[in-house]
Amino acid sequence: MKTEISFILNGSEVQVSVHSHHRLIDVLRKQLGQTGTKEGCGEGECGACTVIIDGRAVNSCLYPAFEVEGKSVTTIEGLQGPKNELSVIQQSFVEQGAIQCGFCTPGMILSAKALIDSNSDPSEEDIRDALLGNLCRCTGYVQIVEAVKKAAAQLKRKK
Amino acid sequence: MKQFEYYKPLSLGEAWELKKKIPGSLFIAGGTDMLVGIKNNEIHPPALLSLRSIPGLNSIETNEVTRIGALATISDIIRNPELKEDFPVLVEAAKNLGSMQIRNVATIGGNLCNGSPCADMALPLLVMEAKVRLQTANDKRELPIDEFFKGPGKSCLASHEILTDILLDPPSKNTKAVFMKKGRVKMDLAVASVAVRLDMEGSKCLKARIAAGSVAPVPLRLSKVEAVLEGEALTQKHASEAQRLAKDNVIPITDIRSTEEYRRQITGVLVKRAIERALEWSQA
Repeated sequence: MKTEISFILNGSEVQVSVHSHHRLIDVLRKQLGQTGTKEGCGEGECGACTVIIDGRAVNSCLYPAFEVEGKSVTTIEGLQGPKNELSVIQQSFVEQGAIQCGFCTPGMILSAKALIDSNSDPSEEDIRDALLGNLCRCTGYVQIVEAVKKAAAQLKRKK
Repeated sequence: MKQFEYYKPLSLGEAWELKKKIPGSLFIAGGTDMLVGIKNNEIHPPALLSLRSIPGLNSIETNEVTRIGALATISDIIRNPELKEDFPVLVEAAKNLGSMQIRNVATIGGNLCNGSPCADMALPLLVMEAKVRLQTANDKRELPIDEFFKGPGKSCLASHEILTDILLDPPSKNTKAVFMKKGRVKMDLAVASVAVRLDMEGSKCLKARIAAGSVAPVPLRLSKVEAVLEGEALTQKHASEAQRLAKDNVIPITDIRSTEEYRRQITGVLVKRAIERALEWSQA
């Protein structure tokens, strides 16, 4: 069973014909070529596939494609500025050495963005709670938490 | 992913019609457990009937009786200011369920219907004596939540039945309830978890409700532990006795998360600590 769905992807409306058993991550990666969203476990444990739907971080590997109809989705591809410059959170990850292999990074950054968008002054506990569902197997979490803290502080100053 | 059809009925009536029409189809809420089950070849439904687009099924109303729609997400519960005020124990359990990404999608009804002995939301509902409302096309019934769970992965839901609402009577001012969970890390399934609710008048315990998770085939009420607290002026001695009884009255198994013995020990410890905390709160 196939259906045409339309949703907002990184600010632009997209229409795509999807299978009933496809997950959002399948549509993003295979049909829309947005390969910044990674599939790690495929079971909602690792968070590599995290995207933001209507302001909330979700695992795109556990999100039926049919359910995204009419919703607004942000992926890592949607974060760069008009001249392809990195967003504040991305830049902060680079500066803090919060990236090693990079596979978990898009998910980490989207979880961080969803947090900072809803809480401009997150405590370390808030940050660790928001990133609990994002596993990193390279760097450990100290630099990542530091990067989110610094990004939040910088974004708050900008406001 | 195995293939399946996916329907988004816009009313309960439409959901039941589809259910009747497609043998083996399953109702799905947030899907964070069910889609993993499909991926791992544990279940093979030909069609999923999503309840997510049915209006009102995810709403939370806090009037005389609090009604939580079964499709309310765990995050909806955490963010609801009235629930935080009236049922902090429910919000605390919600905060301990899975990761942010899971909480944003998983629903309270799904957590219950999945029937896991470690269902985080079951324990606060058990101690607050919640009722569940179950509906079919022609029938509606309400039952106490302790009659809902029937075994690992099993509930009393008939195949055409939909859990639509969770109902809670207003708490009394003297009610203090505590949720505690022990897992390897917070987002893990619990090794053991407990909820303790005490209704206190001064130092006297008018009512005690205690439930434990991950230590029996179902989320379990510990009525023998409750009995030693009720009607008593509570002291440290009662907390210690409750610890011993809790340890002896659970029926855990050994699995990848823990051994039977450790589960017994930790359940006792959690029950004692939760009683102590509830007493601290009631004296504050």
